[in-house]
Amino acid sequence: MNNQIISLEDIKKSYFIKDTEFSVLKGIDFDIKKGEFVALMGPSGSGKSTLLNIIGALDKPSSGKYHIQDRLVSDLSSDQLADIRNKYIGFIFQNFNLIPTLSSLENVALPSFYTEQENYDRAKELLSMVGLQDKFNNKPNELSGGQRQRVAIARSLINNPEFILADEPTGNLDSITGKEIMDLILSLNKKYGKTILMVTHDPHLAQLTHRVIYLKDGRITKEKSV
Amino acid sequence: MSSYKFLLKLFRLSWNSLRANIFRSFLTTLGIMIGTTTIIMVVALGEGAKKDIEAQYSNMSVTTILINAPSTAGEPSKLSVDDIPLVKTISTVADAVPMLTGKVNISNSDNVTNFSVVGTYFDFAKVANLDLVSGQFFTQDDEDNHNKVAILGATVAEELFGTRDPKVIGESVVLGKREFEIIGIAAYKGGAFGPITIDESVFTPYSSAYRYVLGKTGKFSFNVNATNVDVLDQTMDSLTSILRESHNLGPENADDFRLKDMGTTVASAQSSSQTMALLLGSVGFIVLLVGGIGIMNIMYVTVSERTKEIGIRKAIGAKDVHILTQFLFEAFILTLVGFVVGAVTSIAIYYLLLSMGLKIIFVWWSVLLSFAITFATGMFFGYSPAKKAASLDPIDALRYE
Repeated sequence: MNNQIISLEDIKKSYFIKDTEFSVLKGIDFDIKKGEFVALMGPSGSGKSTLLNIIGALDKPSSGKYHIQDRLVSDLSSDQLADIRNKYIGFIFQNFNLIPTLSSLENVALPSFYTEQENYDRAKELLSMVGLQDKFNNKPNELSGGQRQRVAIARSLINNPEFILADEPTGNLDSITGKEIMDLILSLNKKYGKTILMVTHDPHLAQLTHRVIYLKDGRITKEKSV
Repeated sequence: MSSYKFLLKLFRLSWNSLRANIFRSFLTTLGIMIGTTTIIMVVALGEGAKKDIEAQYSNMSVTTILINAPSTAGEPSKLSVDDIPLVKTISTVADAVPMLTGKVNISNSDNVTNFSVVGTYFDFAKVANLDLVSGQFFTQDDEDNHNKVAILGATVAEELFGTRDPKVIGESVVLGKREFEIIGIAAYKGGAFGPITIDESVFTPYSSAYRYVLGKTGKFSFNVNATNVDVLDQTMDSLTSILRESHNLGPENADDFRLKDMGTTVASAQSSSQTMALLLGSVGFIVLLVGGIGIMNIMYVTVSERTKEIGIRKAIGAKDVHILTQFLFEAFILTLVGFVVGAVTSIAIYYLLLSMGLKIIFVWWSVLLSFAITFATGMFFGYSPAKKAASLDPIDALRYE
């Protein structure tokens, strides 16, 4: 049994503006194993967002192969990609991306809604696990930034995904709240064995992971085990 | 494919987002409401007008030709009862009866009323297809002897004696100033017969009406029937030439009488009521069209307001079809609510107009018709914003602020 969750082989991505080709990713290769916590670092313009979109199954590479476990993701249709995002990937965004009109509970249950097996029991468990057992019916605007990110973390777990994709999860939080959230994410990895890929600017946070991948000008420049 | 329960949940989702903006949703669907009401009311009015025309002409045959004297200044018309024998000589004329009519006070010992007296020939009963509930119609003998005998129409009997079928044969009734003997009571007929309303008339021999009641104040007309509808034009030509000759009109004189064939009259009345219905129907359709554009407009606004939400939903696994369905349901609910409120309103307006005495008739298929048009409009205009929402790129939509 293959224990690689994410496997990227020579991933390239380029855009055409008029007739000029702009190459954003110039051949990315790396794997992430089950249970690993990996940080992805790189300056703006390094192709980090593009790579994240491809790994998040929001976008397709121009060439190369992307597998999640044994499933080839790089040439799926947009509906199949939606299915991958729904069942295989848990998203944690920098700006939380909760739906303002829905309660915490509804936000957490939302990915399970689209599997057509809406699971409020599990949503309650997860909200309790992240410490929001008394905020089930609050809307996002009634919650603090840290609480919102906790709701988003609970949401990322609802469909029991293969891995979690965290895009600067503490970027919009003050340092104390940021640390609390980072502790929670770390515990997901340590306590529950979740595979996590985290994008960050903060070298201190990167130090807390197993491995750091540095991206610059569309290539991996350095890979370092912590 | 998606289960029934899942669709129900998507439906709830759409319902909740419309409720979150309840006043806007109401304004959006207002056009649909008004359009629905208009269409149902137009059909009811059209049907009422149609039934009204049918009732007015129900006792008329398409072979009937009415002849009367135009009420214009100048030479008095020479049209008179003496023309009847001449008219009857035309081979395509099946029957011809004179009608001398005028409103007079009609009374018995208890009541005084005001209705038409109609002096005519004995064969009127056959021509107008008149049935009697009691007694009998007068005869040629009554005509020849100017007998003061009368047959009461159903409404006249009711007004005088409190019932449409009073046992009053042999009793007397005063027409104008003269006492007449009641020899028959006509059955209720409904509708008109040329210039007269049968139920609201008292029938007497022509000579008696002329001599004792109406005299020269009565309005005179003929009711002529052609043998069949194909010879109608020919009959009218013959009538014109015979009457002109009888009235000694030279080529320089205009007709001193007027012919009206009922077939044409009915047809033109029907066609004008149809034109009216078509006109009002187009108004209803245009209102619905504008309502549909209103839905489209607001839905485009909604989609762009909720771009971020759509992006989030797609990022966590919503497929295009889920988003499409969610927004189509919104259009669907807007049209459904608009339709139901519009239909209920139209029923309320219907009873209101009915109580005001307007002749309208509710027809069930008008509801189906407005339903079909409303939904075609709502879905047609709802589709393109829903499609736009469904095909948003999740990456762009997530970045949208």
